Amino acid sequence: MSTSGPNPPGPPQVRSLNCPGCGAAITLRSLSQAVTVVCDHCHSILDAQDPRLTILQKFKAAVDEDPPLIPLGTRGKIRGTDYEAVGFQRRTIHVEGVSYSWHEYVLFNPYKGFRYLTEYNGHWNDTSTLRSLPTVNNDVSPATVSYLGATYKHFQTAKAGTTFVLGEFPWQVRVGESSDVSDYVSPPRVISSERTGKEVTWSMGEYISGRDIWKAFGLQGEPPERIGVYENQPSPLSADTTAIWIAFGGFMLVLFVMMILFWSLARNEQVFQGDYKFNPNAHGETSFVTDVFELGGHTSDLELTTTSNVDNSWIYLNCALINQDTGQAYDFGREVSYYYGHDEDGLWTEGKQDDSVVIPSVPPGHYYFRVEPESDSRGGIISYSISAKRDVPQVSFFGIVLLALLVPAGLITWRSMNFEHLRWAESDYGSTGSDDDDSEDAGRPMSLGNLSGKRDDS
Amino acid sequence: MIRNLYILYGVIVLGTLAMAEYRGWSLDSVDEVKNVPRSVRDNPGSYRSVYSSYHHYTGGK
Repeated sequence: MSTSGPNPPGPPQVRSLNCPGCGAAITLRSLSQAVTVVCDHCHSILDAQDPRLTILQKFKAAVDEDPPLIPLGTRGKIRGTDYEAVGFQRRTIHVEGVSYSWHEYVLFNPYKGFRYLTEYNGHWNDTSTLRSLPTVNNDVSPATVSYLGATYKHFQTAKAGTTFVLGEFPWQVRVGESSDVSDYVSPPRVISSERTGKEVTWSMGEYISGRDIWKAFGLQGEPPERIGVYENQPSPLSADTTAIWIAFGGFMLVLFVMMILFWSLARNEQVFQGDYKFNPNAHGETSFVTDVFELGGHTSDLELTTTSNVDNSWIYLNCALINQDTGQAYDFGREVSYYYGHDEDGLWTEGKQDDSVVIPSVPPGHYYFRVEPESDSRGGIISYSISAKRDVPQVSFFGIVLLALLVPAGLITWRSMNFEHLRWAESDYGSTGSDDDDSEDAGRPMSLGNLSGKRDDS
Repeated sequence: MIRNLYILYGVIVLGTLAMAEYRGWSLDSVDEVKNVPRSVRDNPGSYRSVYSSYHHYTGGK
């Protein structure tokens, strides 16, 4: 494997040669590390280890058939180390008659060796070969691999073929060669195994944003837009979901404690009670005022309850709670109505004989009620009573708060689950062809095999 | 990030609840009227409620 070694430091060196097929100039950027190099004029794959550059294969491709997004020869800093893009290949799989292709870039640093970038539908991975073998567990479904304490779930397996190459490669690259590639994911990482014959190469990729790639290589313009959800794309929400439900549990505990506190500390004090009769047939002014009563404590609510013996009738009370000291009034109207009867469906009732209203934020002071009853003039005398309680806890607020805390947590969880659903829909374990996935589908098998045919040839 | 926003949101919601319970907020509709004259106590008919033109339910099934 060509990685860091005892080579003395020095500036990157470039060797110029000529293609034996067409005579075009060929630049060798990775020098002796390159095993094969591709002539971008005649598309001959040459033996870079041979001083005569023997032609190993010639493949048909149009000029600029698949230009690399990172031009070969471009240098950039990946994880603090300078690398140069030296090779580029397109790999393709066929699933249910549809071809899916992705791109792989070979990066080279004379001291660190090779590392790789893969790109599919705007999703990028920074990839390097593993230095030790992961542990495969095929006894579970999906199968897993363990590496450095992390467990990776099998995502998919497919046969990937090389369909286009440019530049240099540290292995014997051939257009048309294929290998069995399996991906195991643990976002933001993916471990890939690539089997060619009896040889298996393991590599690890880590999801990286296109914007970071553009910045690292100083590329012009914008990176391609990401399409869909990628196999090892980190979910923007999954890490938060558990923490949000823990926070929700904490909030419920606080809510429960608050409920107990407000219930136990609320005065819930009856401050007024009056019993009255109303004759709808009487002439003259019907309005009256009650005795003055005192509301103490801090500003809080006042719950007014009206009960009446209405019997297939109604009574309506125009009420005003008036502060005798300041002249401030709280004006409201309440109706008590109760009807019942019998029809083809049986007994029915409508309304009830009591009603309550909560007057908000009433400051302390001396108050009285002005009451103006109304009712149906065909009815008889109606008895009713008015009672008022000070500082009554409102249970409805606790219900509203419960919903206000539950709904966002539920929405975040739903979005997170939907993200994972979209991810796994494209795996070997997902349901393919589901209509609801179309809008955000990244496409079938994406980055299977990040390191096509990379061999430790040394 | 989302977690922190949710915690901030939850703290605000619970703080609002505490304020609502302490100050006695209500979901019921009540109109506030300023400067009601003291003469209302002697002449209740001189005050007219904004609800006095309410259209009453007179039915049943």
